[in-house]
Amino acid sequence: MVIKNRMKICLIISASIMLIALVMTILGYGINFGIDFAGGLSIEYNMNSTFEQSDVETALRNQGITDYKVTTSGEEGSTLNIRIPKLNSDEEIQVLQAGIEEELLQKYPNMDTDNATASYVGPTAGATLIKNAILSVLIAAALMLIYIAIRFSLYSGMAAVIGLLHDVFIMLSFMVILRNIIQMNSSFIAAMLTIVGYSINNTIVIFDRIRENNSKPAYHSLPRDEIVNISISESLGRTVNTTLTTLVTIVSLYVLGVASIREFSLPIIIGILSGLYSANMINGYVWAFLEEHVKTRKKTVKKHK
Amino acid sequence: MKVNNRRQVKLARRTVSIIALCILLVVTVLAGYIGVNGMNLDSRGLYKLLPWIPKTNVTKETWPASIALGLDLQGGVFVEYEASMSDELKSEGYNFNTLLENTMDIIARRLSEKGFTEATVSKLGTSGIRVEIPEVTDPSAVLDLIGSPAKLEFLDYDGNVFLEGRYLKTATATEDENGDPAISFSLTSEGAEIFGDMTAKSIGKTITIQLDGVELMSPTVNSAIYGGNILVTGTFTEDQAETYALQLQSGSLPLDLRQDKLDTVSATLGDDALGSSVNAAIIGILLVMIIMVVRYRLSGVLADWALCIYIIILFLLIAIVPGIQLTLPGIAGIILGIGMAVDANVVIFERVKEEALAGRPIIHAVRVGFKNAMSAVVDANITTIIAAIVLLFFGTGSVQGFATTLLLSVIASMFTAIIITRFLLVNMTRIFKDPKLYTTSKKINVQVSVTAKEAK
Repeated sequence: MVIKNRMKICLIISASIMLIALVMTILGYGINFGIDFAGGLSIEYNMNSTFEQSDVETALRNQGITDYKVTTSGEEGSTLNIRIPKLNSDEEIQVLQAGIEEELLQKYPNMDTDNATASYVGPTAGATLIKNAILSVLIAAALMLIYIAIRFSLYSGMAAVIGLLHDVFIMLSFMVILRNIIQMNSSFIAAMLTIVGYSINNTIVIFDRIRENNSKPAYHSLPRDEIVNISISESLGRTVNTTLTTLVTIVSLYVLGVASIREFSLPIIIGILSGLYSANMINGYVWAFLEEHVKTRKKTVKKHK
Repeated sequence: MKVNNRRQVKLARRTVSIIALCILLVVTVLAGYIGVNGMNLDSRGLYKLLPWIPKTNVTKETWPASIALGLDLQGGVFVEYEASMSDELKSEGYNFNTLLENTMDIIARRLSEKGFTEATVSKLGTSGIRVEIPEVTDPSAVLDLIGSPAKLEFLDYDGNVFLEGRYLKTATATEDENGDPAISFSLTSEGAEIFGDMTAKSIGKTITIQLDGVELMSPTVNSAIYGGNILVTGTFTEDQAETYALQLQSGSLPLDLRQDKLDTVSATLGDDALGSSVNAAIIGILLVMIIMVVRYRLSGVLADWALCIYIIILFLLIAIVPGIQLTLPGIAGIILGIGMAVDANVVIFERVKEEALAGRPIIHAVRVGFKNAMSAVVDANITTIIAAIVLLFFGTGSVQGFATTLLLSVIASMFTAIIITRFLLVNMTRIFKDPKLYTTSKKINVQVSVTAKEAK
């Protein structure tokens, strides 16, 4: 009984995280879409000196651009990033870039125009990306459901996939909650699929233990969630150690990596933690719940007939 | 005598194990050394094994040449186009896929002619084209080149251009009297006059007709040709004739291209990303190795050994499997793979520890523990392989790079966990039998005595 309450608490925690994200999205503070999803133009220059953002803004307005975002980054504040969400044609980019460079060079002669990093993403690319992302998660989930159903049981497969979707939603929720420090770009899709593949590992190791304990004669009289409890605590050493080792590598990547690597590793860190939590606190109990309630209900239905 | 025999067999086994482990150690160290430094196969250095494992503080210059780098690490430009067929062409019954192939050929040819020999042109999804040009940072020159109109030129016998594409009225693919593929040009009246005058001057000499710098044909002029209708046959196929004609008609490429995505990565940014992520990976691996030794003692040392072998195998796979470019997400895939390789070891060690705690002698504990761990290791890896394959099919560009390394990682990790770790553990436990060496010592003493009590 204690365990069931713990599962309820865990579900409440997960649900609240998702609810916060949902409310933020409704209020207009949703996921901070990067250029890959939102489209537009992004140019980054090394100015090799400090600069005034207002000068850049003036240069942009002189080119007839009114919708823009100018940010400063880098250790000495010498990196300039310009985002322009809407552009009509490809030719416009080249004209625009040349115009901005010409004007800024007059004031900042140290500006490095040869090593500019420019990205342009068309308006429809984002939609394709989202479609592919959803499709790939669903297909991966379906294939895993089939595999686990064959290797374990249908309920194990369902419980594992529920846990998997839980992790994906937690990752998405944190993309909303951490919108000030992280943008969503195409690498997020890779991060998401990584977690789909990785967090299932924890679940499988625990389910493997449950399968083994479930067939032990000594445990036959025990309720299912008690078996889940035993299995989880037996696997705990392994779960904690592997999560620790994976986290160590990915955190060092986050700490030492460049911006695009961080954009990729932070969602993975969140996903790994969420996977650790769902594998231990949710999935097993979902399986026990399905086994005990749905199976018994089926049996009683049959009896009534 | 019997007892003596058994002892001798055990001793012999022990010696075999020591020798086996020593051989593997030498192989590991040697493979690692060659992997990092490469090796000359003859004294003059003509035949060389290239290194395949990156070092610390790696830059593009010191990066092992056997592993191709993606644009995000090397610096360069990539463009993605969405191709579409005009209604006119559709009504004329052209095949979209053929035209797409032709368009890609033309782009590739134009790029390589201008010296961008490293450029790659690939198909993206069903109707997309992806162009990658490494080591170029000014996209405009390249984009102009890709989208530039086809250039038709008529050259006289001295190689001077006397007539250009702007005098062209129509161009259609057709056949000559022998049924060979041909292109029929119809010139404007002005063009017809120039052509007529030139042919009148060049009787008995050769003129050349070029498209985009490629010679279509060099006929010898027999008589002056006025009227502006020219039939050109040359060394081209029916398909090419169609493409050339379309190219000339439309001015540039057979299909309409819409630029969907453009990315430039400066060479310095690529270098930063490469160096920092490789260093991060090395630090991460060292930390993992320390954790493993702290948690699992001698087993941890064996896991670290297996991890070294895993890294040697993985990078070898990346180097020899054709078509792999290492990208930034690809490095992340490798790091994740390392996590999973360790995971398999941990699952195995925990099972072995359990059996040892239950009072089994360590050799048996290894055998039983392995058997119990195998299903979890295989199932966990197969689900990851499923995810990687899905990514491989649905991902584009950088995501695909990630999926490839992840897939190779999982394969290498399964191999090291099932073969190498087992080999190491089995042989090591024949040499050192004390279970305390393989796990945290206090617990095992307590547990063993508890099980002993229970047994009573």
